[in-house]
Amino acid sequence: MRKYLILLFILSFTLINCEKDDICIETTTPKLIVVFYDNAIPVEKKDVTVLTVWAEGQANLYDKKSTDSISIPLDLNQNRTTYIFDNKTIKDTIEFTYERKDVFVSRSCGYKTIFENLQIESRSANWIKNDTIKNTTIDNETTIHLSIFH
Amino acid sequence: MKQLFTFLFFISFLVPAALNAQQKTDTVKTKESYGLRVGVDLSKPVISFLDDKSKGLELVGDMRILNNYYAAVELGFEDKISEEDYMNYTTKGSYIKVGVNYNAYKNWIGMTNEIYVGARYGFGLFNQTLNSYTPNVKGTYFIPVEVLPNTEFKDLSAHWAELVFGIKAETFKNLYLGFSFSFKTMISTKEPTNFKNLYVPGFNRVYLNDTGFGLNYTLSYLIPIIKKEK
Repeated sequence: MRKYLILLFILSFTLINCEKDDICIETTTPKLIVVFYDNAIPVEKKDVTVLTVWAEGQANLYDKKSTDSISIPLDLNQNRTTYIFDNKTIKDTIEFTYERKDVFVSRSCGYKTIFENLQIESRSANWIKNDTIKNTTIDNETTIHLSIFH
Repeated sequence: MKQLFTFLFFISFLVPAALNAQQKTDTVKTKESYGLRVGVDLSKPVISFLDDKSKGLELVGDMRILNNYYAAVELGFEDKISEEDYMNYTTKGSYIKVGVNYNAYKNWIGMTNEIYVGARYGFGLFNQTLNSYTPNVKGTYFIPVEVLPNTEFKDLSAHWAELVFGIKAETFKNLYLGFSFSFKTMISTKEPTNFKNLYVPGFNRVYLNDTGFGLNYTLSYLIPIIKKEK
């Protein structure tokens, strides 16, 4: 009897210790994907040569980068985010508005926020010539959400 | 997990086989009590006492229906707050498990100890309340604020199957101490919208592959109804 008791006890503790499924590996709150295009040839991507990007009241997200695409987080505590795009010290401001929806992901990841009905509330036009919202719903980071022409 | 499963599976065959090998040639007649055994899971009140986020009670009962077979039932309720990395929720509900135990232990005459394997069907009815969560975002550019939705998901249910291994020992006359562990697998659940049954009363934590396990420490009393000659 005692032998079995010991065996059961050992088994029970090995059961307790195994399988910890709480490492978050799924994708969570997506960022806004912005791609820069040539205003003269709108199908061609065009680098912004000295790009600095920050959200109003925040630190620099990109600092003097040369790139044709960026991903920027949206503020998930309110329904608007204002970003400043600085190209060779010429600044343009874009104010985004959207609705937020929290979607359950998993035990380990909890909830992610997705953004719907993305709109540009206002935009200055110093170096940015045009913009097109390609996707009003931001629920992944694999598609382009916003095209900027310059 | 799979290895363990296989191991348990083999044990379940080996134990009765080994014990049945001993031939009975006794002619001494003794009386054995058949009756209703009722008890309580001791671990639940202890956990309730130690952890104020967890409340629960489980009543257990079994009855010898054939020489080595016992019909078994467990009834319980739980009220438990679970904390995960990005959320906090409360599960509240009750459950019933019914099934059969097979006693594989060959007792000496007059003894009624058990080493058993059993199977159960489990059914739970419960509510989940999402107390709080923090949206999960990578990076620290915008720090999310904790949301307190207090959403209650009502009338949820779950069906599951269990494989039970346990022992019971008669410590005093008609008073039994038992220990068992169970391996559970979910059959079906009624899931909440935009949330998940991560904890189910009676099933405990629901692991990624819809499995779970449980431990029971029981104290039960046998109410002798009939005495049969063996």
